[in-house]
Amino acid sequence: MALPLPPGLTHAEVAFLAEMELVTVIPRQRLDSIDLLGGKTPPLRPPHRADLPLWLALLLKKQRRANILPPAWLHPASLADIIHAETKINPQAFSDPPPPPSRADPSRPGLARRQQGAGGNINNNNDDDDDGVYSGGLILSAPFRPSCTADAPAGYLPYHWLEVAEQLLAHAGDDVAAALGGGGTAASASSASSATILGEVRGLLRDLVEVRAAKLRSSTAALGSFGGGIMSLRGVGAMELAETRGFVLGVVDGVRKLGASVETARREAEEEGMDEGGDGESDEEMGF
Amino acid sequence: MSYYDIDAILTDAEKIPCTFQLDVPDLGYLDNAPTQPLKAGTKVNLPLWLAEMLAIANTGDPEGRSFVTFDLPSALGNDVIQALKADPRAVPLRDQSPHFYGLATHMMDLVSEDKLPEVVRNTFVTRAAEVALHARKLGGVGSRGRTAAEEGSNLGFGGAGEEFLRGLDEWERKLFRKAHDGAKSGKEWMENIRKH
Repeated sequence: MALPLPPGLTHAEVAFLAEMELVTVIPRQRLDSIDLLGGKTPPLRPPHRADLPLWLALLLKKQRRANILPPAWLHPASLADIIHAETKINPQAFSDPPPPPSRADPSRPGLARRQQGAGGNINNNNDDDDDGVYSGGLILSAPFRPSCTADAPAGYLPYHWLEVAEQLLAHAGDDVAAALGGGGTAASASSASSATILGEVRGLLRDLVEVRAAKLRSSTAALGSFGGGIMSLRGVGAMELAETRGFVLGVVDGVRKLGASVETARREAEEEGMDEGGDGESDEEMGF
Repeated sequence: MSYYDIDAILTDAEKIPCTFQLDVPDLGYLDNAPTQPLKAGTKVNLPLWLAEMLAIANTGDPEGRSFVTFDLPSALGNDVIQALKADPRAVPLRDQSPHFYGLATHMMDLVSEDKLPEVVRNTFVTRAAEVALHARKLGGVGSRGRTAAEEGSNLGFGGAGEEFLRGLDEWERKLFRKAHDGAKSGKEWMENIRKH
């Protein structure tokens, strides 16, 4: 009551956290490694790709010092696949979060090994020049997982998908259009075709937001019957959580209040039943 | 439920039908007869807090009768429950009682009724989904990229949902506010990105 803010993170806070996600950039100028609180950034050498935090990448993009390479899941085909999976294949659940990064195990052909926690000798950079401060080593949950870089798998939505996608579309739209439009550079892509691609991606994102919001709403229906009442939120993004947190908590709280009397009655009945059962047994024993 | 919760206080003030089991002197004014004692068997509508107290108070009566017995209020009566069973969304709960769910939880504490908890719970959850749907639609949140005219009315409550939203009880209104705030701040954030 004392705090005016609702529980959980606000949209602005979530967006701020999302800026820590790593994205892949193609630098246009050399830039030495910068010593940030979160570690050193890889030094930028123009033809080589490098992974930078989103905020830094956007800053360089605005200064025309780098182009951003959008993640594969932002491709219209990938988004359409996800929408298809969400609506047709499994209309109840949310699409899976990206699998942990894995790499073929040379000692056991045909099998892959998770890279998470596998030690410090792993370097999953595209560029061998990188120090591997951000990538490599321990790979944890978002935003420490490189799920928005160019080599992130297509067909999976990472935790901060909506935030990163919106930021990229708003500030690096030409790069996104160029990368998704079939390999042309930003300069060669005609403005008309890039506009249609951006429009397509935006439309697909809108569809995805609506589909998933409808699912979040209807997932509360599972609370209707007694005994049910577990909602799986696996694969839900940070922004969606921020948006529906108040509502879902309200529903759960309401169901708890409505079920309180039944719950106490059931407990009392159980205790009585145990008592009676105990008495009955002792009576029988007395009888024998 | 906090001591200062205004909704809890108002819920306690809901009237429920009571029948006096004993003669009570000087209470005749409850039945519009100030000079008479209140006879046993008189039916009076009493606020929940008073009815509860009188029902559980020790009367010292040799037969162990309490002052009053009470029935379910009309908001939780049989016809309402049947209607809720048929379609929870079709019943304007606010017309039954502005604090329908609060009243229901109270009554479920006092009366053990088999079907009531399940029906009320199902009602709440079904209507909550509907509430969230309307909360998202209102104010044009669901209509990004479209003009206000295409979406119907963006001013105030639009079209078909108006009837339903008028029938929300207090719990549902709070839910509506929460869902709407979430959708609204999401929309604001989305628009902010473009500016910066």
